[in-house]
Amino acid sequence: MAQAEFSLPSSPFKARVPSRLRLPGWFVLLLRNPKSRLGLLMVAFVIVVALIAPLISVSDPNGFSLLDARQAPSWHHLFGTTDQGSDIFSQVVVGARRSLLLGAAAGALATAVAAILGITAAYTGGIVDEVVNFLANVFLTIPPIPLLVVMSGYLKTRGLWTMVVVIAAVLWAFEARILRGQALSLKSRDFILASKAAGESTPRIVFGELMPNMISRIAAAFVLVFYIALLVDSGLEFLGLGDMGATSWGVTIYWAQVNSTVLQGEWWPFLFPSLALSFTVLGLVLLLAGIDELSNPRLRTEGRPRRHLLALLGGRALARAGGRA
Amino acid sequence: MSGAAPAGAPVLPKGGAETLLELRGLAVEYGTGEGAVRAVDGVDLEIRSGEIVGLAGESGCGKSTVANAAMQILRRPAAIAAGSVVFQGEDLVGRREEELRRYRWRNVSMVFQSAMNALNPVMRVGDQFVDMMRAHERISKRHALAEAGELLELVGIDPSRIRAYPHELSGGMRQRVIIAMALALQPELVILDEPTTALDVVVQREILQQVQQLQRERGFAVLFITHDLSLLLEVAHRIAIMYAGEIVERAPAAQLASSPQHPYTKGLLRSFPPLSGPKERLSGIPGAPPDLASPPPGCRFHPRCSNCSPQDEALYRRQTTERPVLREIGPEHSVACHLVERDGVT
Repeated sequence: MAQAEFSLPSSPFKARVPSRLRLPGWFVLLLRNPKSRLGLLMVAFVIVVALIAPLISVSDPNGFSLLDARQAPSWHHLFGTTDQGSDIFSQVVVGARRSLLLGAAAGALATAVAAILGITAAYTGGIVDEVVNFLANVFLTIPPIPLLVVMSGYLKTRGLWTMVVVIAAVLWAFEARILRGQALSLKSRDFILASKAAGESTPRIVFGELMPNMISRIAAAFVLVFYIALLVDSGLEFLGLGDMGATSWGVTIYWAQVNSTVLQGEWWPFLFPSLALSFTVLGLVLLLAGIDELSNPRLRTEGRPRRHLLALLGGRALARAGGRA
Repeated sequence: MSGAAPAGAPVLPKGGAETLLELRGLAVEYGTGEGAVRAVDGVDLEIRSGEIVGLAGESGCGKSTVANAAMQILRRPAAIAAGSVVFQGEDLVGRREEELRRYRWRNVSMVFQSAMNALNPVMRVGDQFVDMMRAHERISKRHALAEAGELLELVGIDPSRIRAYPHELSGGMRQRVIIAMALALQPELVILDEPTTALDVVVQREILQQVQQLQRERGFAVLFITHDLSLLLEVAHRIAIMYAGEIVERAPAAQLASSPQHPYTKGLLRSFPPLSGPKERLSGIPGAPPDLASPPPGCRFHPRCSNCSPQDEALYRRQTTERPVLREIGPEHSVACHLVERDGVT
């Protein structure tokens, strides 16, 4: 056993060990992949716009001015104006706040519930699995729109958080089924049995062993719910059950539809909020490409992770030149 | 823990070594009620500290199920139907999950069959060591990683590979990593479940020698499960032969090689060529292992046994209706066979 004595401080390999949990590790990985780097920049751009919205919006997004109504995009009204004369640029910029918050919160809530319940059910099996499956089936058979209508009708407040809870309640079951299925196939792999044999506790196996293998699918679930949440936001406005006083991309699209603007040759009230929505979702989808690498190390390109932010943002050529060294 | 034992032939540990793990009448069933399949039916096996016990048999005879039962990691629908698993005098069957969790790996660790699947593909090797160690002791991450590096070095892998992901290692390296993990907490018993089946012969030999050397240095006991009896004859002190969920013969390795008693053992020994000596025709064993959902009555081996024919009526009736039990026929040598019971040791 003489060789089992080791001198800790002098171990040469120890210093280079990066931790799985240290923040820069995964962040660097996202930045190294060109697709997810672009996605990250797009999402970051939208978030920054939402944050500084009051500074860059030129007028009250719900301002009413017949003199300014139905104007095509111009330098004065960058995205044109609505039938009521509200500035669409301001609506899109200010609406980003509510839309992002709604999508992210609904996505996070639905995905968290789905992941925790789905994976735990798959791993534990037995009565827990039965109960979760039953709940998921019940929620899957309830048609979402009528449920939303009923819930919105009974709830006194129709604010953002009500909407978040309603959307998450409708969508979690779908994701839980998918994640449960994936966890079921993973659970029969030897490494899960091995970690049980190694004396790891059940929560540790579920969250430390199974979940890291499923990050990619979980992230995809988040993006899907994000997207659906924004569409549902618009859909509820159609039914007159939304929060009319709020400003969001969904509300702007709703009014564009109500006033049948496209029929009258006004394309801008539709185009710009829709573009903002597409831009955000596209950014998230691109981000998924990098997240795939997180949950599947095989996809990662060779070379040491680079930690210099500017070099990473400097584009492919720079990163490649450095990465090969 | 000096490596004083001479290399080469396995040496039995000193007599009177304490019993580490004992399986008493262990029976494991898959499913319950009518459709239950008894994959392991009344297995008695004793492993003493510091010895290498081999468990051999065909695929599907219940070897791995025995290992999983010993670790208490049977998965539904498998469950222990009868018998006990006694570790250092304490029965583990029916213990609370938290007690079992602490027992696993700390006292008995296991090397799984497929190195490919036994490591989590999304985690660095070092982190898997850390997780495992932290499940059992309060240890800083740094310290755990340093220890993981030492363990890797012990099995001949560069310590810097703790940063590697499993897919960056070869099959042999992965199996070594798993062996290193199994030794991390210095358990009293290491179960090797077909540890080298997926590897080529050269790597297989290297790894086995390494295991033997580590076993001599550190003195842990080994339960070595394999379908390859020739391998066991080289490494094991004692060998148990399993057939259709039962142990049919149990003997010290040398004795099993020189005077096997059970027809099944003889068949197994004839199914691989000796490296020296005159050429012999390999005979193998005709037929296929029985369906455990409806095992044959009497001796489970009788449909394939060359010593079982209706000519000898009294014996035939016993062979086809009465289950033989393990009987001691010499020091440490037991066999479950009607023929041996009647005719004595050959």
